[in-house]
Amino acid sequence: MPDYAFVGKPADRVDALEKVLGTAKYVADYSLPDMLVARTFRSALPHARIKRIDASAALKIPGVLAVITSEDFIDHGRFGYPLADMFMLAYDRVRYVGDGIASIAAENETALQLAMDTLIVELEELPAVFNMQEALSPKAPVIGETPNDAVEMPRGNLLTQYIVRKGDAQDELAQCPVILDEEYTTMHQEHAYLEPEGVFAVPWPEKTGVTVYASCQSPFLNRANMVKTLGLSEDNVRVIQPPVGGAFGGKDDTMYQLSAQAAKLALVTGRPVKMVLPREESMIASYKRDAMQMHLQIGADTNGRLRASRIHATVDSGGYSSITPFTAWRSSIHAMGPYRYDACTVDTDVVYTNNGYSGAFRGFGNAEVCFAIEEAMDELALRLKRDPIDLRLQNCLRPGDTTAHGQKLGDDVALAECLEQVRRLSNWDVLYPEYLKQNSHPSHPGEIRKGMGVAAVFHGISLGAEGADFAVGTLEINPDYSITLTSGLTDYGTGSRTAFTLIAAEVLGVNPGRIVMPRPDTDNSQDSGPTVASRATVLGGNATRVTAEQLANLLNEAAADLLGCTPESLIRDGELFVSPREEPVSFENVVDHARRIGLTLTSRGRWSAPEIRWSMEKGQGKPYFAYHYGAQVAEVTVDTGTGKVEVTRFWAVHNTGKVIFPQGAYGQLYGGITQGLGYALMERVDFDNGYLQATNFDEYLIPTALDVPDITGAFVEKPFSPGPFGAKNLGETGLVPAAPAILNAITNATGRRIRSLPANLERVLIGKDLRKEGSSTACKLGLK
Amino acid sequence: MKINFTLNGQWTEVEAPADTPLLTLLRDFLGLTGTKMGCGIGECGACSVLLDGRLVNSCLVLAAQADGRSVVTIEGVCQPDGSPSDLQQAFIQYGAVQCGFCTPGMVLAGEALLANNPQPSRYEIREAIAGNLCRCTGYQQIVDAIEVTAKNRQEGKSHA
Repeated sequence: MPDYAFVGKPADRVDALEKVLGTAKYVADYSLPDMLVARTFRSALPHARIKRIDASAALKIPGVLAVITSEDFIDHGRFGYPLADMFMLAYDRVRYVGDGIASIAAENETALQLAMDTLIVELEELPAVFNMQEALSPKAPVIGETPNDAVEMPRGNLLTQYIVRKGDAQDELAQCPVILDEEYTTMHQEHAYLEPEGVFAVPWPEKTGVTVYASCQSPFLNRANMVKTLGLSEDNVRVIQPPVGGAFGGKDDTMYQLSAQAAKLALVTGRPVKMVLPREESMIASYKRDAMQMHLQIGADTNGRLRASRIHATVDSGGYSSITPFTAWRSSIHAMGPYRYDACTVDTDVVYTNNGYSGAFRGFGNAEVCFAIEEAMDELALRLKRDPIDLRLQNCLRPGDTTAHGQKLGDDVALAECLEQVRRLSNWDVLYPEYLKQNSHPSHPGEIRKGMGVAAVFHGISLGAEGADFAVGTLEINPDYSITLTSGLTDYGTGSRTAFTLIAAEVLGVNPGRIVMPRPDTDNSQDSGPTVASRATVLGGNATRVTAEQLANLLNEAAADLLGCTPESLIRDGELFVSPREEPVSFENVVDHARRIGLTLTSRGRWSAPEIRWSMEKGQGKPYFAYHYGAQVAEVTVDTGTGKVEVTRFWAVHNTGKVIFPQGAYGQLYGGITQGLGYALMERVDFDNGYLQATNFDEYLIPTALDVPDITGAFVEKPFSPGPFGAKNLGETGLVPAAPAILNAITNATGRRIRSLPANLERVLIGKDLRKEGSSTACKLGLK
Repeated sequence: MKINFTLNGQWTEVEAPADTPLLTLLRDFLGLTGTKMGCGIGECGACSVLLDGRLVNSCLVLAAQADGRSVVTIEGVCQPDGSPSDLQQAFIQYGAVQCGFCTPGMVLAGEALLANNPQPSRYEIREAIAGNLCRCTGYQQIVDAIEVTAKNRQEGKSHA
């Protein structure tokens, strides 16, 4: 692999300095003298018809300036992708506890609170449904839209279905000597970004437009939704993304609603409007990772060769569809895991209920199905008396293999290398059999046992069949010889701005310090689709590369002209351009000369992902242009007297292709694994009759520094030719296999299998949940 | 009521209602927005400041309790010329920063630890920051940054 000056070398994050100094301005830190504060009045019922909203008394309170409802938006503020079934404020019905009904702007918090208490909202309670099987019954109340008001008609509460088909899995299973047939369940997960949602909207003179500072992931989608629902042109809505305090998939739809509400209030009042959610409101109102129920039947020969997988999954979308159809589609593509089968069928049903609503969350459907298939592989290994890594190596996808979807893979596939490397790093061949032997007898009370577990992952790069897949970058050399780089793909803590900077510096042959990346802004950067799906490095990185190549070409021409040689004969020595006569000229001199001869030193480049094709009807095709692969091993101790699980060591090896920004890549890996550890052991979003049970960090526990061990991470940098400098995606993949690795380790320690997430104390200790009476109190208090 | 206290080394007098939390006083009355509000119930540590050298959640401390005492916020950690302190520089160099929202509190938690325990083990560092939630980093690079700062400070002392 070639050696680069900046790519893959130690570098500081471009936005680290302002963050360590505390000078970075997040939305909550904005303030203007005539600023209003705003809040959303939300539903305290899981399903109800909105009978009447009367704001007249609230508006009489001194300092209260505006109250808006769905009537204040075009088409009631209808938005959503791929299905537009949601509103900027609820229209006609509310479908979950926390659904926004009205939004109020006031001069101060006291007046705002009084208005919240005074606003009259009459709701007529409707029958609700909280269980996916009950939701699918013909007798269930329909939570989605009825044919009269539906844009695209779902069938009852069955929102959508996806399939994957290879041969006849049922027939193949009937012939398999070994069949694993089990059900697995995952729960909703809260993103728990440390910064709650925030938006700051500043109206333009004469109320002709609005500038919105939004803690969102995708400023261009946010603008598009406001353009559609506020009735303004693209030129009259500007979205700026200040530093975002974490997102993990969670700052899309909720942020689009809050942005449109604040923008509308700013346009109505002619004054800046700030909305920042308290933690309780953030947790109640925002969407979650979907919950899934999965039934897996895996058939194998006695020698361990996998023959068939038959998978049925049901996905809880909650009250709205949000992005859950795509989450479910991704889950269907990944449900069989990175393995070869003779036959495979996947059927995924997506269901409306009144359990909050589900949306994007790091891993995006794959965390859920990876948990199921990787536990199933472990169960199969135990049944076949095979080493779990051996069984995976026997069946895993390798270069040139064809997947269950009918996709022929390229030479970038490196899952076997990941499995072999994680096996060596973790000393698996010594420790796993040792723990297995120690744990072959029933535990005596209070015995502390150790265990080890493995899980593998593959994860499709970027959007796949979810949408147009491209990114655009721009570069401009400034009068002071600094270089401005923009990308339509944003950085909400992931480090992509640093990766893009290093790529541009590498291509241009300039020091990264010359390159400045302004905050993403719909006025200064180019629409590049959403910043989701671990697509920044490959899509945005490639867009940066092709943009920089154009500018580098211009500079080379200018340098050659200045030095009287051909562009091809130039040599670069750091920032210097050197002629064949070994005559050097500086970057500044080349820029000056380029300007003298009339060249415009800007460039704009677009990169589109290689073509994919997927038949929703046949369940076959090429769903993603390529995949990331990885393998993780967890070591745990289990206190058999209390059920307490501690993750003591953790190893992760991922096939990332070339790592562009190592510090950032390790950060993504460790952070992802830590969220996966929370998903495995403690994170539990419970709805009781639609009421969220944990509304703040006192009850919704996420891992602290004491819950995570030091993680040993490594990257298999097998080049991926379509990626920039051979890089692949990384952002989501650390999270995905962590939970099954940990649960497999618990089984190794205790001899018992837990097939539901999270593996909390009672599930580890007694194998089932202790019934805890739910309550609506925390939720109702949080909405006050 | 009138509150007098030392804020980042400067004697400060400010008028605020008696029920004002210290976090609100810092952010809304004094414009020091480096201290963040993450949960409002003392669970996340984003609002950490040093009160007479002790790490506290400023959302749970009344401003009046700071009267006559010394408060250090993230704005008071850097060097006099505005450049980052050794610990802040280590946060940058070791990748301890992602979204940055927990970072001010983490830096102060690190400073509070190193003031009392100049040679902490990695486990002691993890204990010291266990009241500060971070959702991005998995903590490892934060522990690295605090650990290396402790070592450098010890070496600096032994060379002096």
